[in-house]
Amino acid sequence: MSAATNPYPPSRSGWLKNNAGWLALTLLLLALPFLAALLDGQTPANVLASETGNAKFMQGLLIEVFILAIYAISYDLILGVTGLLSFGHAMFFAVGAYATGIALKTMGWGLGQTLLAVIVASIVQALLFALVLPRVKGITFALVTLGLASVFSIVVRSSDLAAYTGADVGLQGVIVPALLNTNTARFRFYVIALLATVLVYLVYRRFVDSPTGRVCIAIRENENRALMLGYNTFTFKLVALLLSSAAAAFAGMLHALHQPIVSPNVASLGYTVAALLMILIGGVGTLSGALFGAAVFRLLEFFLDRWFGEIANSLLGLIYIGLVMFLPYGIVGTWRARSFQIKQGWDRLLRLLHLQHRAP
Amino acid sequence: MLEVQNIHTFIGQFHILEGVSLTVPAGSIVALLGRNGAGKTTTLKSVLGLTPPRAGKIIFNGQEIQGRRSFDIAALGIGFVPEHRAIFRDLSVAENLRIAERRKGDFARKEAFIFSLFPDLQRLIKLSGANLSGGQQQMLAVARALVPDNKLLLIDEPSEGLAPVIIEQMMEAIRQLSAETTVLLVEQNFIVASRLAQHYVIIEEGRSVQHGLMADLVNDKETIHRYLGAA
Repeated sequence: MSAATNPYPPSRSGWLKNNAGWLALTLLLLALPFLAALLDGQTPANVLASETGNAKFMQGLLIEVFILAIYAISYDLILGVTGLLSFGHAMFFAVGAYATGIALKTMGWGLGQTLLAVIVASIVQALLFALVLPRVKGITFALVTLGLASVFSIVVRSSDLAAYTGADVGLQGVIVPALLNTNTARFRFYVIALLATVLVYLVYRRFVDSPTGRVCIAIRENENRALMLGYNTFTFKLVALLLSSAAAAFAGMLHALHQPIVSPNVASLGYTVAALLMILIGGVGTLSGALFGAAVFRLLEFFLDRWFGEIANSLLGLIYIGLVMFLPYGIVGTWRARSFQIKQGWDRLLRLLHLQHRAP
Repeated sequence: MLEVQNIHTFIGQFHILEGVSLTVPAGSIVALLGRNGAGKTTTLKSVLGLTPPRAGKIIFNGQEIQGRRSFDIAALGIGFVPEHRAIFRDLSVAENLRIAERRKGDFARKEAFIFSLFPDLQRLIKLSGANLSGGQQQMLAVARALVPDNKLLLIDEPSEGLAPVIIEQMMEAIRQLSAETTVLLVEQNFIVASRLAQHYVIIEEGRSVQHGLMADLVNDKETIHRYLGAA
């Protein structure tokens, strides 16, 4: 095959070059706690000793961003890449969080057994979702998954299981092993959460670029066409579900370790909507968009709340409207398409506000 | 190669095919003719199991294939070129071709043949499907069906919406590929169909009403006028 027509040109040699931006961002994030400490008059030793201060607080906030990023990217894999509209994604996250909380607190297991429990739980729930896959499509699949997640949400809130799940209160004070204690070893947890995010992103991108991932994109575009090429599309959707469930459950596990509380809110529809918002902000189907979306989502929420207090939520809504108007494909999607619609964005906004009549 | 025996297909409540029979001899091009809504596309989709027939038999190379799953039918060696240039817009030209591989290396084996039929595609190999013109997309859709070793190609409306010069190119390509593959062709444009196919089958309101040699049909102005509305 000639080089000109090789559809997969060798890229490994240029890997570092192609990913220089990501590498720099990762290193910057690794250095950030120390920079924050220096600005605050602390020493790097203070950071490593998890001493209270801005640096520690900032790490806590960023850990939340990383966890949300893993959660959002796991949603992007099934919705953005494979085209499966699931309204039950919160369950993927909550199962990981509850498995961790129950294993550590109620059962008193060690970290290894807990991780195993989370992995098993994530496989079981992906298979549960896959059970309905061949029977329903599109919006019906969305409603069935919403139903499954609602059942899960009701079960964890039920008072009959209070001994395991804490019912409405959730699991308070999950007993976290010293190795991953975010209070006494915050920088370690920060590094683990950061590297986990990077790892999930790299694995997902490798998957999407693989022949299997390309078939998932083909399924999103038109499942019948993929069938006609001889692909059993169910298998590919199942693989996407398993990968998505694994990452989401892992994010849930980190969440339970970091907080260390598991609230029933993580199983609610609102948490699925959060995932949807994050990938809409970042750009559906772009993978990296989910990471930026999570950062914007969490940091906006935090700073608006800090600066504006009560009206923060209204402002957040306005900002989301603005993002949709000006960045219709999300941050990364719009950047890739190089279609910055400043003018069109204003027109859309003015039309929305009825200040300008629709062009005839 | 392909024998469709009196199939009845429903889409929802609607009885779309009310008895379609046709035979596609190996090595030939058979044109499936009929007016809009007669059931031509549904016939192709019934063969492929996308709209499985409720009654009747479909025999491909001696095996009954009705009721099998679409991807199993495709894997037997039936390629489909759907209407409306059904390529994957989010994948590049190369990826569109690669994804059609049924065995590793299919594309490498067929590359020279495909690019001899459609030299344009070689130039566009890295572009994404969405950036191709209508004619280029249609060529890619046909090329994609050539990647695996398909014994039978079902081609739906290859000339639809294309400029005359592109239609000529497409016809030449179909003529050349038919040297290797049997073709069942749905075509509204009777001139195109009559120049390509050796046999024809006419479908009217979900029933196959007439079949025979294309050479005979070309001179049968009355039949053409009655069923196809063309002069």
